[in-house]
Amino acid sequence: MELLDNLFLGLSVAVSLQNLAYAFLGCMVGTLIGVLPGIGPVATIAMLLPITFHLPPTAALIMLAGIYYGAAYGGSTTAILVNLPGESSSVVTCLDGYQMARNGRAGAALSISAIGSFFAGTVGTIIIVIFAEPLTRMAQKFGPSDYCSLMALGLVAAVVLASGSVLKAIAMVFLGLLFGLVGTDVNTGAQRFTLDIPELSDGIDFAPIAMGLFGIAEIVVNLERHLTRSGTIKVTSLWPTREEARRAWPAILRGTALGASLGVLPGGGPTLGAFSSYTLEKKISKTPEIFGKGAVEGVAAPEAANNAASQTSFIPMLTLGIPSNAVMALMVGAMIIQGIQPGPEVMTKKPDLFWGMIASMWIGNLMLVIINLPMIGMWVKLLTVPYRFLAPAILLFCCIGAYSLQNSTFHVYQVAIFGVLGYVFSRLGCEGAPFLLGLVLGPQMEEYFRRAMLLSRGDPMVFVQRPISLGLLIATAALLVLMALPSIKKAREEAFQEEG
Amino acid sequence: MSRLLSKDFLSGVMFIAFGLGALYLGRNLQMGTTVRMGPGYVPHMLAYIMMSLGGIVAVFALFSSSAERTEAPKWKPITMVTVGIFCFAFLFERAGLLPALVVLVLIASLGGEEFKITEVIGAMVVLSILSVLVFKVGLGMNISVLYGVW
Repeated sequence: MELLDNLFLGLSVAVSLQNLAYAFLGCMVGTLIGVLPGIGPVATIAMLLPITFHLPPTAALIMLAGIYYGAAYGGSTTAILVNLPGESSSVVTCLDGYQMARNGRAGAALSISAIGSFFAGTVGTIIIVIFAEPLTRMAQKFGPSDYCSLMALGLVAAVVLASGSVLKAIAMVFLGLLFGLVGTDVNTGAQRFTLDIPELSDGIDFAPIAMGLFGIAEIVVNLERHLTRSGTIKVTSLWPTREEARRAWPAILRGTALGASLGVLPGGGPTLGAFSSYTLEKKISKTPEIFGKGAVEGVAAPEAANNAASQTSFIPMLTLGIPSNAVMALMVGAMIIQGIQPGPEVMTKKPDLFWGMIASMWIGNLMLVIINLPMIGMWVKLLTVPYRFLAPAILLFCCIGAYSLQNSTFHVYQVAIFGVLGYVFSRLGCEGAPFLLGLVLGPQMEEYFRRAMLLSRGDPMVFVQRPISLGLLIATAALLVLMALPSIKKAREEAFQEEG
Repeated sequence: MSRLLSKDFLSGVMFIAFGLGALYLGRNLQMGTTVRMGPGYVPHMLAYIMMSLGGIVAVFALFSSSAERTEAPKWKPITMVTVGIFCFAFLFERAGLLPALVVLVLIASLGGEEFKITEVIGAMVVLSILSVLVFKVGLGMNISVLYGVW
């Protein structure tokens, strides 16, 4: 019954007028950026971090979460109507969604994707509720060495599952860890890498880095290539036919199951869920030849999967404090800005925040169905806004936002510098996400590492003597070895090529 | 020569450069012992591991047949955006929000492919109204819209 108590606590927090308003705001902003091509959820959340600084913690996290899953909904709208994925997680939706739209079934495709997403979101929320407590209990037994190994596993898994070149991504993690160490050393008070700049003695602020690496670099890359748009398709009836509904349901169920399980994995998240479930549908279908020509299953399954995965990817972050992808790293950043250290203590010390956020996810999903289906015409109009208007506006809000962090222009300069760095990264094919994960986990990981070594009197064997730590390290090593095996390496490269 | 310009080789070089930078900047940090680590222990360790990874990436790139060449950067967008932000930061406290905004929007628009002066002016007007309403009136931020005037 504790489960229900928790849910009620969460609901009572989430339905307060203020939290409802922020959930709605988050969903609207999320849908908006999902619809607008050329700006993703990571960049948006990064840009809005300074604003959340002025909000109460629960409201801030509720809004950011709303942006995250709202973007997934909005992204599918553009994928279906104009063959442009607003987000990487809706790339697969383009394949069959746009074809369905061309066959005059745009409305049906939209509603199947919205209903599938809602169903998957509901299941995802329930899964979080069920697993949050046992996982948190487990995490509370962890010692410093266990934590250190857990973070190593999280970082390696995120890298292995989510990016192209493993070696480069791991190097990016280390670079992120190094940047995370800038500032005053907690144990000795020594200044590290501060270049005698007083503003850096508290560490490099997370928000300007994220804004520069993701926001600014994304704008520049978009300005370089010409964003072209194909014609928009008119939406007629939103109702799917009976035949379409019959084919969509099982696909939604399968997509939800697959997406929810992949979402929990570090590095999993919505994109991986969507791609895998599309492949699965195609494989088990009796008529694989209709895929790519407007198959209902090809819309229903990946849409359900990406939403289920975006919900369950909160699990490692909320219970263990380990972000599994770039968006979760930003959520961790937002919590730290608010003075909350993510990890197992959040649930016990701030139950209202924890359960309120989870309950609001379900409410947010419900809002999204309402925002998306009847208001589809408005979102379609937004698609006609040219990028050359968007770019300066986004830049401006980044600059003012960065300034507002501490009323200092130092942060604005930082945004510019990290923008250049982010541009270099993207030119060299080095991904920003592993860097961000390293950056967020860096200070904690060093702390745990030093504490573990102190407790063991400098004996590194402590990492293999404790069973939990040993198990986690074995899993980490196994992942790395697996990636080096030629057959898996090849399959993996193919998968990423399809994606890119 | 083309292998020296491949993405992998250049990123390997970048990692090594960052590692060397970290070692140089952290040269005065105490290493300490494994039991009581000084502030320099973990940074040194990270820098060495990152440099070895960078080295491996670079060496692989030199001997790989399928090295992907780095696309030549287009200088205009990145320069304009960066210069724009720097100007904004410079002007913001000295002249106020409006001048900083006008300069930023102008410079950033110059970085794009199409540039129509009427559109840019329109964008400036809309953004000025919007940001004054949101940040000054709405959020009540302590910023000057035009230094010395408002």
